[in-house]
Amino acid sequence: MTASSLPRPPRPRGRVLDARLHLLSRQVLDRHDVPVTTIDDLAFSPVPREGAHDREEVTGARTYVVDALLTGAALVVRVFGGRAPTSVWERVGWQHVSDVGTAIHLGVDGDELDVTWTERWVRDKIIRHIPGGRHDPE
Amino acid sequence: MILSDLLDLPVHDATERLGYCVDARLVLDAPVVGPLAGARLHGLVVSPRTGTSFMGYERSGLTAPWPLAQWLRHRHRGTFFLMWEDVLRVTTDRIVVVTDATRYDPSPTD
Repeated sequence: MTASSLPRPPRPRGRVLDARLHLLSRQVLDRHDVPVTTIDDLAFSPVPREGAHDREEVTGARTYVVDALLTGAALVVRVFGGRAPTSVWERVGWQHVSDVGTAIHLGVDGDELDVTWTERWVRDKIIRHIPGGRHDPE
Repeated sequence: MILSDLLDLPVHDATERLGYCVDARLVLDAPVVGPLAGARLHGLVVSPRTGTSFMGYERSGLTAPWPLAQWLRHRHRGTFFLMWEDVLRVTTDRIVVVTDATRYDPSPTD
C-alpha cells in the first residue's frame, strides 16, 4: 500500500508540527532575536483526559503535552548512545515559546533562562576581569 | 518521557514489527500555557525499514533534488502515520500498538 492510498487522519483543530522535522536542532531566539541555544530534545508530561480513567495503564490513553525544550547533552548521547540522565538537560519551558518557524522564538530575555548560565558565568567571572571587558567595543 | 524515548524505536503490534518511529507529530491544541497553545502529542510517523529520517522527504511532496528525493522516497516507501490513541505502551526497546491500528497518510495535514 502506498502512502497516497492511505486515508487522511482526522484533521486536528490546531497547527501541526512534526517534532524532529520542525523543532529538533532549530535555533532558539529570545525576544530580542538574540540566539539562546538549539533544541536537542523535548520533554513530555502526561495530562489527565476525560473518560480515560479505565485505560490508565495504556500509554495512548494518556494525553502527553510538551513540557519543555531540552538542550545540553545531545552530543554525548548521539556519539555513545544510551539515555542522558535528566539532571544534565537544561530546560526551556514551553510557556516561553512565542512562535515556531525556521527558528523558535521565545517571549523572554535569554538572560532570564537557566540555559544561558554558562555564558553569564564566563562573562562575569572571566571576561569582565580582562581590561576593556566591562564595556562595549568602541 | 522525552522525545528520544520514542524516536528510532521499533514499532510492533501483537504479531509483527510494523516499522520504526521516525517522528512524533504534535498539535498545538492543548490548553494555552503561554503565548502559544500547548503542544499535544498527536501520533507517530512510522517507516517500515529505517528509523532515520532526512528532512521529511518521505511525508512531503518535495521532488528536488531529484536523485535524493527518489532515493529517500524509495527507502521510506510504505511510511504511515499512527494516532497516539493506538499506542498500548512504550518500553525501552519498542513501541507496542493495537493490532487493528489504522494506518494514515503521513503527510502533514497543514
